[in-house]
Amino acid sequence: MDAYLVAILTVAGVYVVLALALNLQFGLTGLINFGVVGFFGIGAYASGIATETLGLPFVGGLMVAILAGGVTGVGVALLSLRLSGDFLAIVTLGFAETARLVFNNEDWLTGGPRGFIIRTRPVMSGLSRDVTAWAVLGLVAAAALITFLVLRRLADAPYGRILRAIREDDLVPSTLGKNVFVYRLQVFVVGSAAMAAAGSLYAHYVQTITPDNFTTPVAILVWMAVIVGGAGNMLGSVLGALLVTVLYEGSRFVTAGISVLDAEQISALRFILIGTVLILTIRFRPMGILPESQRRASASVPPTTP
Amino acid sequence: MDLSRRLFISGATLTLAAPALLRHGLAQSAPIKIGSLTPLSGGGGPYGPEKAKAHRAVVDLVNTAGGVLGRKVELIADNTETNPEVAVRAARKMIDADRVCAIAGTWASSETLAIMPLCQDANVVQVYTGSSDYLPNGDRKGLCFNLQPLNQAWCVALADLAAKRGFLEVAFAGPKNDFAASMGESFASALRKVGGKIVGEPFYYNPNQVSYRAEAERLIATRAPAIFIAGYVTDFTAVYRELVRGGYKGKVFTLSFAVGPDFKKVVGSAADGILHGSPVPPVGKDAYDVYLNLVCLKPNGQVQAPYGCAAYDEMNLLLLAIEGAKSTEGPRIAEYIRRIANGPGERVTTFADGAKLISTGKGINYDGASSSVEFLPNGMLKSRDFALYEIQKGEDTLILTTTSIVD
Repeated sequence: MDAYLVAILTVAGVYVVLALALNLQFGLTGLINFGVVGFFGIGAYASGIATETLGLPFVGGLMVAILAGGVTGVGVALLSLRLSGDFLAIVTLGFAETARLVFNNEDWLTGGPRGFIIRTRPVMSGLSRDVTAWAVLGLVAAAALITFLVLRRLADAPYGRILRAIREDDLVPSTLGKNVFVYRLQVFVVGSAAMAAAGSLYAHYVQTITPDNFTTPVAILVWMAVIVGGAGNMLGSVLGALLVTVLYEGSRFVTAGISVLDAEQISALRFILIGTVLILTIRFRPMGILPESQRRASASVPPTTP
Repeated sequence: MDLSRRLFISGATLTLAAPALLRHGLAQSAPIKIGSLTPLSGGGGPYGPEKAKAHRAVVDLVNTAGGVLGRKVELIADNTETNPEVAVRAARKMIDADRVCAIAGTWASSETLAIMPLCQDANVVQVYTGSSDYLPNGDRKGLCFNLQPLNQAWCVALADLAAKRGFLEVAFAGPKNDFAASMGESFASALRKVGGKIVGEPFYYNPNQVSYRAEAERLIATRAPAIFIAGYVTDFTAVYRELVRGGYKGKVFTLSFAVGPDFKKVVGSAADGILHGSPVPPVGKDAYDVYLNLVCLKPNGQVQAPYGCAAYDEMNLLLLAIEGAKSTEGPRIAEYIRRIANGPGERVTTFADGAKLISTGKGINYDGASSSVEFLPNGMLKSRDFALYEIQKGEDTLILTTTSIVD
C-alpha cells in the first residue's frame, strides 16, 4: 500500500506542475490553452530522445525538454496568440492532436505506437525498488515546490497584476502603454516550458511512453484541477491537482467492495462518481475550492513619491 | 501522564511498524489475489467483457469448492479502456496496493507491453492474449504466457489462402498501431514465401478518423488485385465503405474480428466476397463446451466468445499453477505453468480435476478451451486452430480450418 501511495503522489506531483503552468496561462492571463498535453508530450519525448538517443544524463534531458517546450511555445504563440478566447482554444487543441500524430507516425524518432523505452532514471542507479520510488517522489515534489514558489512570486509581483489586467480587459493595460502581446507571449512560453518539464519528469518516471499517454483526456484532468482548485490561485491549483488525482485513483478502492455489479459496470460507475463530485464542486463552489483572493483597493498603500 | 521522548519514539515506531507486522501474520490465511485487467471499453470493448466474465466464473467455481491451497481467491478487476496509459495505472494499483501475484486478461499488445516492465520488476506473472510479434522481447524473467498465436502464424494461413486464390500481388493497409505494424511485416514475409509480393508500401492510417476517403483513394490507386486490411471493426468498416464507394473491384482480405455481426449489419450485401480469418476455439471439443456451459452459452457448433475461452484458460492455468507450486511467488508460479501446460501427466480440463491429481502427487497436462495450451520456452503458444472464411450472402462460410504450428 505504501508503495502505491508513493506512486500516486508521484503522478499527482506531475499534475501539480501541469496545473500550475496552466493556471499561469489561464487562471492569471486568461489564455485558453487546450493543448496542455501537446507540450507535456513534447517534453517527454524530447527528454527521452536526449537521454536515450543522444546519451545525455537526466539533467540534460530535462534542459532539452524545457528548451523544446519553450521553442514550441514560441512557435504556437506567434501563430495563434492574436486569436482571442475560443479560437485560441481550437488552435491549441489542434496543436496537441498534431503533436500526438507526429509521435505516432515518426517511428524513426519516437518509436511510433510501439512506444519509447527510457532507461535513464532521474535518481542514481543501484538503489532498491522502494528507495528509488521514494527518491523519484522527492524529486517530483521538489520540482512541484519550485514551480509553485516561482509562479506564486510571479503572480504576486507587479508582473502578475498586469497579467490579471490583461485577463479582465486587455484594452486597459494597452492604454497604459503595456505591450499586451509580449506579455501574453512570455506567459505562454513560460507555461509551455513548465509543461514540458513536467513531461520530462513523467517520462523518466514511467519509463515507457507511447502516443496514447498524450491524449486529450490528460488535458481535461489538468483543466479540472485548475477549475476545481480555483483559477487564478496558485495554491488552489496545487490542491486541485492533488484532489483530482486522489479522486481519480481513489475511486478504484471505493467500488472494489461492490460485488453485485460486474467489472464493466464498476468501471463505468467510477467515472459517474468522478463526474458527480466535480459537478457538485462546481455547483457549490463555482470559483473553486480556493478562490482567487480579492485585493483590497490600494487606499491602504502609502502613496509613493513621484 | 508524561510523554517522555523515549516513550514517544518507541510508541511511534510500534505504530508505524504495526501494519507490516500484521501483514506478515495475516499472509498465511489471507486470500490469494489475482488481477483481472481487461479492455471493457475502447477498441477491445467488444471482447473485454467476455474475458472478465470468464475470469469471474472460474474464480467463483473454485471458491465454492474450497479455494486454492485452502485459501479463497480474490479477483481484483479493472478496465484498461484499451489504453496502455490507463492499463499502467490500473496495474500499478494491483501490484502495489493489492499485491496481486498475477495479472490476467490484457488484450491489446500495447497494454500488455506497457505493464510488462512493472510486472517484471515486482515478479508478477502475466497471462494474456496478444499477437504482436514483439511481445516475447520484454519478458526477461520468463513470467509471461500468451494464449493467442503471434501474427506470424496468422499471416502464414492468410498468405496461403491468397496464393491459393491466385492473388500474388496484395496491397497492405492497417491502423497505425503495434499490432498492425507487426502484422504488415509478417504478412509481407509470408507472402514472399509463397511467391507473392506486397504492392507498394505497407499503408498505415490513423485510427479514429472521421473519414477515410483519402486513404481509400490511395489504396485504389495502387491497382492491386487484392488488399489485406488488418483493422479493428471501427476503422475497417469506414475504410471498407470508402473502398466500395470508390468502385474498388478487387478482393479484400481481413481479420475475423473486423467483420463481426455489427459490420455485416451496417454494410449489408456489399460485404459479400470478403475473405477473413482468425484463431478459433476448437468447436465441439469437450473443454470448450464445459467453458460455454459455465458462462451460460449453449454450444451450437459455431465460434462463440473467442476471447472468453482463452480467459477461461488463463485463470485455470494460474490457479492450478499456484496449487501445484504451493506458493504465490511469481517465478514459482511461472515454473509450474510450464509444467502444467506442457506435461507430462494426465490430461485435465478443469481446476477441480487438476487439483485432485496434484494432491496425490501426479503430474498433469492442462488441455484448454481455446487450445491444447502448450507453450514454447518464451511463453508463446505452440499451436492453435485457425479458421478462414468467405462472406457469402451476408453469412460466414467456412473455407478451411488449419492448425498453425510454430517451430
